[in-house]
This record gives sequence, C-alpha cells and structure tokens, in this order.
Amino acid sequence: MIEFKNVNKWFGKLHVLRDINLEVPAGEVLVICGPSGSGKSTLIRCINRLEKFQKGELYVDGQPLHDHSINLTKLRADIGFVFQQFHLYPHMTALQNVTLAPINVRKMNRDEAEELGRRMLARVGLSDKADAYPAQLSGGQQQRVAIARGLAMSPKIMLFDEPTSALDPEMIGEVLDVMIQLAEEGMTMCVVTHEMGFARQVAHRVIFMDEGQLVETGKPDAFFDNPETERAAQFISKILTH
Amino acid sequence: MITNFNFRVVWEYMPLFMQGLRNTFLISLVSLILALAVGIIACGCRLSRWKLLRGLAIAYIESIRSTPLLVQIYFFYFGLPTLGLRVPELETGIIALMLNSGAYIAEIVRAGITSVSSGQIEAGISSGLSYFQRMRFIILPQALGVTVPPLLGQAIVLVKDSALLSLISVMELTRCGQELTSERFMPAEGFLTVAVLYLCIYYCLKPLAGWAQKKLIFREAY
Repeated sequence: MIEFKNVNKWFGKLHVLRDINLEVPAGEVLVICGPSGSGKSTLIRCINRLEKFQKGELYVDGQPLHDHSINLTKLRADIGFVFQQFHLYPHMTALQNVTLAPINVRKMNRDEAEELGRRMLARVGLSDKADAYPAQLSGGQQQRVAIARGLAMSPKIMLFDEPTSALDPEMIGEVLDVMIQLAEEGMTMCVVTHEMGFARQVAHRVIFMDEGQLVETGKPDAFFDNPETERAAQFISKILTH
Repeated sequence: MITNFNFRVVWEYMPLFMQGLRNTFLISLVSLILALAVGIIACGCRLSRWKLLRGLAIAYIESIRSTPLLVQIYFFYFGLPTLGLRVPELETGIIALMLNSGAYIAEIVRAGITSVSSGQIEAGISSGLSYFQRMRFIILPQALGVTVPPLLGQAIVLVKDSALLSLISVMELTRCGQELTSERFMPAEGFLTVAVLYLCIYYCLKPLAGWAQKKLIFREAY
C-alpha cells in the first residue's frame, strides 16, 4: 500500500529524512515514535505529499509520489489525515465539516452526504453533536469529528499525526477508542504517537526514528520491552518515567 | 461665538449643503464599490504565483501608500489631460479615490486571507479540495470575518478623503462650505456646518459596521 525507497528530504541544509526504506502493506497498523525533531511527522506528511521530498521513490496505492505529474488531488482524497491540532473548519458545524469534501470532491448530493456524515459522526460517538460548531466541542470531541471527516471519504489509508498530543489526559481515551475500533476493522493506519497502550493493543509494528533515520523496527511488545538499540532504549525509558 | 453664529445664513445655504451631502455620499459609495473591486483584484495579483502580476500589484500598492492622496488627485487632474484624456472633475476624483482606497483594501483583504492558519489550508488539501474550493469554502469565509471591521474603517476614511475633491472643484460637501465662505466671508458657519454633516455620515455608518460584523463574522465567537 505504501512503499518508501531510499527517501531523502532536506529543509534547506537540514537533512530531515535519511534513506528511508519502509513498506506498509494494506491493513497494517503502523506506529511511528521517536523524539521530537526526529522526522516522524515529516515522514507521514510525505505520504499524502503535504511535504515534498528531494530524493528517492515513494509509492502510495500504486501511485509514484516522486513523479510530479500524478493527480495529487485524487490521491489525497483517498487518504485521511488527522492533525495534532484537529484543524476543524471553525465556521462550519460538525456535520458540515464532515460533508464538505464528500459533496465537493466526491460530488455526492447533499442528502446523501448528510446521511453519510451522520453515520460517520455516529461511528465516532457524536451523533448528538452534528449541529455543534467546533468551538462548542471539547478537544476530544473535535478530534473525533476530525476522524469522522477523514472517514467520510472512505479512505484507503488513515494517517494520524500525534492525534492525542494536544488533548487533556481525560480526553485521550475517547480518541484512542475510536482509533482502536478503526484498527480492528482492518483500516491501513500510520500513527505518529507515544501512546504505548494503543501501540501494544493494536499496532502490528512499531518503528522508531531518530535524526531522520529509521533506527529500529519491531513488534510492539518486543520493541517496548526489549529494544535492540541503545537509542530506542533511552527513549523508551524516558517516556516510561515521564 | 454662539451669539455671532449666523444660523440664518446656514439655513439659507441648507439646500446647497444637502446637495453637497448627497454628492459626498454618492461619490463615496461609487468609489467604495469600485475600490472594493480594484482591491480584491490587486490582492489576488499580490498573492499570485506569477512574479509579473505580483510585481505589478506591489508597485501599485506601494506607490499609492507612499504618496499623499492630494498629490494623487492632482496627478490625475493635471496628468490625464496631458495624455489627451479629457475626463471631467467628478470622474477624475472618483478614479483617484478608487485607486487610493483600492490599494488599502488590497492590503486589508490580504491580511484577512493570510490570517487563516496554514493548518486550515492543509486540512483542505488533505481532503482533496482544489485551490478554488479551498478559497471558497475555507479561506474566504474565515477571512471575511477578520476583514469586515477594517474595511468599514476604510469606508469611513474614504468619506473623509472625498473632501479633498473640493480642491479640484467637485461640488461635494466641503466645497459647499468653501462656497459659503467665499460668498459671505463666514468660514465658521460654512465649515462648522460641514463638520456636523460629516459627523452625521459617520454616525450613520457606525451602526452599519456593527451590524455587518454581527452578520458576517463566522459563528465561532458565539
């Protein structure tokens, strides 16, 4: 589904992704962790080309992303992206947030889209918030609307960029529950997160990044209990004591 | 001073003042509508991908914002005829006001558009929305909320700036004050009346600003 081949990216002089090789088959739940500035967000932002990269090859759903002539709009419509800061549209209700792309990108008619939108909001447990504006929702609820917004496009892949990092502790659970349910339904997911519980419960694989390099890959339990590299061990001990 | 103030003369000239008031209102309205169009186009060019359009927009905006309006009015008033264009005073004045306000409006609109966070734009991109769809559904509705208050401020400035057209003998409100002064040598009566009438326009526009703000600003605030 996703395949990185020697992908390199620079921000000016800063080498943020170094020779990334990674394959994510359909249906896999991949957790990406690592210290801040290690390039993990940049990595998943490359998958829907929110970031360009300078060297290497990247195939997503069979499409070569290093080829600048491909239809990015169409590709992006098939990939859901959930941001750390939610980025809901503040001037639209929850339902309008969810139906905007189905109506305008998928060209669904309004009734059909609203029906779909309500179903998606129900899926994230927010049937009663369809007419609420983002400012009237808690952080956890906003993030669940954002997930519903992604799901409404029936994506082939869902990308999560630290989806719970901006949330109060008591709201993290409700967002993770939705993500766990999604993982169990077989969605292909790449999740940048430090939520070990989530990783242990549903991730098929954890990758650890540091300084733009993919340092370690492993099964979640093996990775968290017996990391192979010194750097990963250090990192895990820090998030555990934290 | 009140004892010396000649209300009779003011009353006598009232039809002239009313005509001036009407003209000031119409000149401002027409200039504002044209300036909005010019401003939005200039802002579009200013934010364009193409260097040439961007350069032209910057040249226009900066040359307007760095020179006095009066100089611009004289530039068109004396400059257009030398190009062989005979444009009446009123139209010359409206052109000057339009181009002047247009430059300020371009910057106001640009500030509104750039105030929409990049996260909003990325959310739109990620959903597969095209550039125009993002503009229409995400950026402009949010930019409008931030833009309306300074736009109405600019409208009020425009009304006051139109007073400068009196210097190219356009029969607007200030010019009426000058008429009274020169015919009767009563500057206090002339200009105090004019000032009060400008104040009236201001207080008519002010509630409009509040109303538009309530109507147009997106609902987040409530």
